[in-house]
Amino acid sequence: MHFDPTVLADYWPLLLQGAWLTIQVSVAAMAIGYAAGIVVALIALMPGWPLRLVTASYVETLRNIPFIILLFVVYYGLPFAGIRLPATLVGTVALALFASAYYAEIVRAAILALPRGQFESARAIGMSPASAMWHVVAPQILRALVPPSTNMTLTMMKESAVLSSITVPELTYQSLVVQGNTFAPFEVFAAVASIYWLIASVIAEASRRLERRVGTAQAESVSRNPIAERYLSLVARRAS
Amino acid sequence: MGFKLDYLFSILPSLMNAALVNIRLAAIIMLLSVVLGTAFTIVRSLKITAVNMIIAVIISFVRGTPLLIQIFIVYYVLPAIGLDLSPEVAGVSAIVFNSMVFVSESMRGGLATIETGQIEAATALGLPPRAIWLKVVLPQLFRRIVPVLINEATIVVKGTALLSVITVVDVLRTAQQIASANYRPFETMIGSALVFLVINLVISLSGRMTEARFATARI
Repeated sequence: MHFDPTVLADYWPLLLQGAWLTIQVSVAAMAIGYAAGIVVALIALMPGWPLRLVTASYVETLRNIPFIILLFVVYYGLPFAGIRLPATLVGTVALALFASAYYAEIVRAAILALPRGQFESARAIGMSPASAMWHVVAPQILRALVPPSTNMTLTMMKESAVLSSITVPELTYQSLVVQGNTFAPFEVFAAVASIYWLIASVIAEASRRLERRVGTAQAESVSRNPIAERYLSLVARRAS
Repeated sequence: MGFKLDYLFSILPSLMNAALVNIRLAAIIMLLSVVLGTAFTIVRSLKITAVNMIIAVIISFVRGTPLLIQIFIVYYVLPAIGLDLSPEVAGVSAIVFNSMVFVSESMRGGLATIETGQIEAATALGLPPRAIWLKVVLPQLFRRIVPVLINEATIVVKGTALLSVITVVDVLRTAQQIASANYRPFETMIGSALVFLVINLVISLSGRMTEARFATARI
C-alpha cells in the first residue's frame, strides 16, 4: 500500500469541525470540572470525617472506573432521571465529572502543601488580608497547582476521544466517519493523530509558559558524574 | 420506572465472568509493558543520538494522542499493511505500546533518585554493564517504581474497557449486549462500573500492602 493524502481532500472540513468540537468540549469540561473540583477539595478540607468520607468516595469512585463506563452511566442515567440532553452536552458533563475528581485531588494537595502560618506571618508584618492572600498565599498555591493541572487537562482532552462512542461528532467520531467513506485507514488516522498531537503540543507549550510565569522550579538536570550518568541518565550530556 | 436492584444483582455474575477477560488482558499487558519498558529504558540509556531522537518522537506521539486513536491505528492500519491481527491481539499491542512508554518515563524519574555512589562502586569493582544493570540498578529501580506500576495497572485495567470498541467481548460489551436484551441500560452500566471499581480497589489496596513491605525491605 502507499500513502496518498489526496483521498482526504474532500474530508478536511469534517476533520477540522471535529477538532474544533474536541477543543470546545475540552475547554467547557475543564471550566466546569475545575469549578466542581475546587468545591470538592474545599469540602474535603473541612473538619469532620463524614465530609471527608463523602468526598473521598466521590474521588475514588470516579478515578477507579474507566471513563467510557462513566460516560455510559451518565448517558443512560440522565434520561433515567428524566433529563434529556443532546449527546454533546451529555459528553461534556461526563468529561467534567471525570476531570473534577482529579482536579479536586490536585487542588487539595496544593492547599495542603502550603506551609502553615504563611497568611498569619504576612498579616503580622503588616500586610492587609487581601495583600497577604494575593502576594503570599496565591503565588505559592499557583506554583503547586499549574503543572499537575495542565497535565490533567491534556489527559482530559485525550479522553474526550471516547465521546465518539455516544455519537458526539468530535474528532475521533469524524475520523471513523471518514474512514468508513474512504477505506483509507492509514491516511485518516495519520491525519487525526497529527491533529490531536498538535492540540496536545499547544497545551504543553502553554503549560510551559505558564510554569515559567508562576515560577515552578525546573530542576530537570541534577549534576551527576559521568560514570553514574552512563546508567542513571537517559539524556546525552551536552558538551560544555 | 424505578431502579431495579434485583435486576442489578441478577446480571452481576455474567459481568464478573466477562471481567475475567479484562483481568487476563490487563495482566498480559502489564507483564509485557514492564519487560518492554525496561528494555526501552536500557536502550535509551545507551544515549545513541539518532535512536534517542526517534524515541523522543515516539514518546511525544504516545503522550500526545488518545489511547483510543492508538488502538484504532493498530486495529485498522496494520491489516492494511498485511498484518491481520485479532481484535484482542491488536488491542493488547496498542495498550502495551502506550503503557511501555509510561513505564519507561517513570523509570527515568526513578533512575534520577538512585545514588551515584552505587554506580561508582560497581564500576570500581569492575562489574560488567550487564551485572550493573541486573544486580545494582534494576532491583533498586523496581522497588522505587512499585507505586507507579500499581497506578499504571489500574490505568491499564481501565484501558481494557476501550477494547470493547474494537469488538473484544469484555465487561462493557457484555453489558451492552445484556442491556439491549433487557432494556435496562442504566442498571447494567452501574453494574459494570461496580465491577471495575472492585477490581481497581483490590489492585490499589494490595499495591499499598506491597509498598509497605518493600518500604521495610529498603532499610
